[in-house]
Amino acid sequence: MTVDPRDPSGLREQIAENQQAIDRLNRDLARKSNEVQIIQQISSEITSTLDLDEVLGIVLRAMDRVLGFAHSMILLKDLADDVLRVAATRGYADQGGGAQVGMGEGVIGVVGERRKMMRIGNIGASMRYLKSVRARMEASGQVGPVGPTAALPGLADAQSQLALPLTVKDRLVGVLAVESRTPNAFDELDEVLLRIVGNQAATAIDNARTYQMVEQLGRLKRFFSPQLAELIIRGGADDPLKTHRREVTVVFLDLRGFTAFAETSEPEELMGVLHEYHAEMGRLILAYEGTLERFTGDGMMIFFNDPLPMPDAAERAVRMAVAMRERAVELASRWHRRGYELDLGIGIAKGFATIGAIGFEGRWDYGAIGTVTNLAARLCGEAKPGQILISPRLLPEVEQFLEVEEAGLLAVKGLARPVKALNIVRLRHPA
Amino acid sequence: MIPDRVVELLHGPTWIQIGTRDEALRPAHALVVGAMVHDDRRTVTIFVPAARSERLLRNLRENGRVALGLALASHEAYQLKGTYVSSRPTDDAERTRQEARRAALLADALKAGYPPAIARPLVLGLAYTPGVAITFRAEEVFLQTPGPGAGTLLS
Amino acid sequence: MGILPDEIKPAMQGVIPSHVVTCSRDGTPNASAISQVYYVDPDHVALSHQFFNKTKRNIEENPRAAVWVISPETFEAWDLELEFVRSDTSGPIFDVMEMQIEAIASMVGMKGIFKLRAADIFRVIAVTKAVGERIPLAEIPGPR
Repeated sequence: MTVDPRDPSGLREQIAENQQAIDRLNRDLARKSNEVQIIQQISSEITSTLDLDEVLGIVLRAMDRVLGFAHSMILLKDLADDVLRVAATRGYADQGGGAQVGMGEGVIGVVGERRKMMRIGNIGASMRYLKSVRARMEASGQVGPVGPTAALPGLADAQSQLALPLTVKDRLVGVLAVESRTPNAFDELDEVLLRIVGNQAATAIDNARTYQMVEQLGRLKRFFSPQLAELIIRGGADDPLKTHRREVTVVFLDLRGFTAFAETSEPEELMGVLHEYHAEMGRLILAYEGTLERFTGDGMMIFFNDPLPMPDAAERAVRMAVAMRERAVELASRWHRRGYELDLGIGIAKGFATIGAIGFEGRWDYGAIGTVTNLAARLCGEAKPGQILISPRLLPEVEQFLEVEEAGLLAVKGLARPVKALNIVRLRHPA
Repeated sequence: MIPDRVVELLHGPTWIQIGTRDEALRPAHALVVGAMVHDDRRTVTIFVPAARSERLLRNLRENGRVALGLALASHEAYQLKGTYVSSRPTDDAERTRQEARRAALLADALKAGYPPAIARPLVLGLAYTPGVAITFRAEEVFLQTPGPGAGTLLS
Repeated sequence: MGILPDEIKPAMQGVIPSHVVTCSRDGTPNASAISQVYYVDPDHVALSHQFFNKTKRNIEENPRAAVWVISPETFEAWDLELEFVRSDTSGPIFDVMEMQIEAIASMVGMKGIFKLRAADIFRVIAVTKAVGERIPLAEIPGPR
């Protein structure tokens, strides 16, 4: 920057240039201190909550109010699939919740796939160009007719988009995207600002999501085995505690002679026997992956095919029941030597039930209601000690490996005709 | 010699540009605001704003090589290559024709999907007066529409 | 260094097509339209290379190019004198361009069909505002 003192006009020019540079620096500085304010504001807000919806709302509100992005959305990567789902939007008439984008589809999908930010300001012009190339390729037979184009969430006529991957330690949490109907709407400084917000958001969202998962896991673990609970969480979508209908195979069992025993025993002895009984039966329930619905001291209700579907539900139920009977026989002989007459009776039925969380805040149970539960309970009640009574509906799925005998007709509440009860004598080919 | 479609485009709402080069093979560009094909269907006169013609004419007088690129807003495009013949200022009739051509260009841009906020200033900002008329003889015509076939010699 | 002014950046977003003129070794110029000239840094730009063409062939014989771009905001135009530096088939510049093409291709049903072959990087030797070929924006009649 050499200035020749003999050239005053040159000097004037130089001063003007310097002033321009200073103005520019001041503008940058003002924007930068604005940035700092933005970071502080957003940072304190989103780290103050672990509620996922709140975090998303705070981020998008900041996008709008502080950075001036009128249309924004956050998509979260589905835990099980390679898909991005719209989790929150701002500035759209239709909330678009639940809409999904596959990896590599559109700006958002490419950002999710490549894990790199993308800014584009000429969507209309680019699409027109590619469409005309496409038309020529089709005309010359190089390609077939137009393939499927993804239905993407957002503005139908967006000209500009800016999207950022939200990552925590190399893991893709989701994508933050803003768009506009104006071409060239975003510049490099917008990229910088979005990156700042995005980094904050990524961590906060990940924390909120983890918390949400842990909460849900905690709830589910009260009803299901830890493995089952985790399986449900990872499967993502449906909350098993929401009421639903499913065809299930229900097993009812109860300990006979227990009431008499309870009256004549010491509490410690009682608890000891119960403990042993529950432990043994519980181990078998876990082994066959049944769902324990009810626990009433001496009785239990277990069902199969919910919350996880099982094609071999009936077979599992029957095999478990037979294993339980064998175990109970061993336990009974031990209890008998100590002077207690305790035996097991089991009933199994198959049919549709309404299933979901029953109870109230602080005391929920995973319950199943239907004629099938009545039938299983009745069959159990009718079973003599050591009998496993099943309903004929199970036969098609289990008769090839069972030896059964008729055990009488039962009138059951809710059923028009009496049910023929069948007792399982033994397994034909031991498992 | 110049195919009908190309003649049609040269007289129509097309974006035209002229490419030349200097003695050191350095290329130069200028926007062309109008064109006219002579009856022999080989000679072409194009119109450029006088303010942009200095370097252009210097190149043409030095080596005479001309490349004329033309494209519709729909991306249909062609290229002519040839040799410089002569130049002169534009006359009133030619300027009037260019005015009409500019209007057609705007209509075509809008039809192709350009937003009005861009098409209007883009087209109406084309300056054509005072202008220079440059005449050259076309020797080759190529297809230049992006996609398969681009670069094919047509004539 | 740094000869590209900030105000030229909107002209390099591909909103309005640009023009490029190259010249073969035997002295024949080639003039074609391109959809976008990409801003790399204050001294470099990039052109996307999808189909093999005369422009590319010329560049390989003679590295000089003349490029014309126009801003969709101010409608000012610039002439750039360029010199070919190298052709990238990977790297940050290629990635940025490739991602844009991938995104748009997927939106018009051409996923995987339309690909970026290379990002051709050019050094900017000179940049001048194209004066005289345009009526200043303020003087253009009619609604905007």
